[in-house]
Amino acid sequence: MSEALRAALQHKLADLLGGEVRIDRFALLAGGASMEAWAVDAQTPQGPMALLLRRGAGGRIYRDALSLEQEHRVLQAAFAGGVTVPQPRGYLGDLLGRDAYVMERVQGEAVGRRLVQKPEFAAARKALPAQMARELARIHALDPAGLAFLPGAGTPSPLRHGLETLTAQLDALGAPYPALELGLLHLRTHLPFEGAQVVCHGDFRIGNFMVGPAGLASVLDWEFAHLGDPREDLAWPMVRNWRFRVDHLRLGGIAGPEEFLERYHALTGRSFTLRELRPFEMLGAVRWAIGALSQARRHLSGEERSVELAVLGRLAAEYQHEVLALLDEGEGS
Amino acid sequence: MTDRPDPGELADAVRSFLEGEILPALQDPRLKFRALVAANALGILGRDLLLGAELDREEARLLAGLLGQGGDPGADGRALPALNSELCRKIRLGDPPEGSLPALRRIAELKLAIASPGYLEKRS
Repeated sequence: MSEALRAALQHKLADLLGGEVRIDRFALLAGGASMEAWAVDAQTPQGPMALLLRRGAGGRIYRDALSLEQEHRVLQAAFAGGVTVPQPRGYLGDLLGRDAYVMERVQGEAVGRRLVQKPEFAAARKALPAQMARELARIHALDPAGLAFLPGAGTPSPLRHGLETLTAQLDALGAPYPALELGLLHLRTHLPFEGAQVVCHGDFRIGNFMVGPAGLASVLDWEFAHLGDPREDLAWPMVRNWRFRVDHLRLGGIAGPEEFLERYHALTGRSFTLRELRPFEMLGAVRWAIGALSQARRHLSGEERSVELAVLGRLAAEYQHEVLALLDEGEGS
Repeated sequence: MTDRPDPGELADAVRSFLEGEILPALQDPRLKFRALVAANALGILGRDLLLGAELDREEARLLAGLLGQGGDPGADGRALPALNSELCRKIRLGDPPEGSLPALRRIAELKLAIASPGYLEKRS
């Protein structure tokens, strides 16, 4: 399988790069039910390249997640817009029966709990808040006109569209979760549906950045990009689960939110108080709880057997508790 | 069936084996992490066997109270899916019963006692 894939890729890359290509290394880095990632070192007409191949591995799992072709187009737009992303190297179309594209392979650490806890990332943690603000400012300045396929595009309120999608995802679980219903009810009445409409990354948090000693080396995981309210992306890295147990540092377990928000405000001219972000933190908490339960369903359905995914179904007690705690704090405001 | 080890003791034996013998022998960090998750899953199983039935009854009692079915002596774990569905239906219609938030918070705490007993102390 791996040999056939390597040969097919070599052929595709030769077409793409306009000359002979020799693949020296071809190694599977991660293979889930939905996506494979391969490290590819190749000699090309443009010189040696370290590439990452992203290739589908079967069915689409998430409602409203982008196809690989769309993801590659978003990556191209982000790269052109100066966002720190791996350089997209080309959409390959069908590669032995599955969609695929290649991009530059960036070195670093992406695992959230290591970035938050390990002493060797102390300097990176210091640099990240301002870097995250800069990247978000660039992402939110991207022109959505060429990205009409983004979920939410062409709807009167992309935020409302996002909430409807989330509600449908909860319904698809096929089991009752009253705590999450209560969260959704709060969101229907408290989210400001008439806010700005920008290109949102959709999963902008520690754990989805490649990080080196000096901080952010690239923004990864674009499959949840959509049109939405900028506050969705600002509040998501503050959701408790993305603080990786360093709860008191609201920005992803690495810092307080102040520097991040001030930098973002200075760069964009927008200004949001923490209070204005609260409904979006609630949205993030509900979204994560439903996401975790959906992932547990992948295990239960046999689509991707995994003890990690299975346990998420029970850890969802934490995420539901968080939704209720935020509701409690929000009473009276 | 009264044979020992009982189900909880069996889960505990496997958990100890994973933590004491398998985890220290593993090098690959990803495999190590999954082994930790597996040990944690057995911890959840053990607590569920010990506490599950009682907590189900408490959840059913709280939900029946919210839904005005408080006098139902048959409220036990088997009634839970129907009770939860009925509460969800009311909330979706925009009409959550008075007291929903504290009751659901109490239920979440019951579930945490099984799924993640240290969570509430660590949460800051």
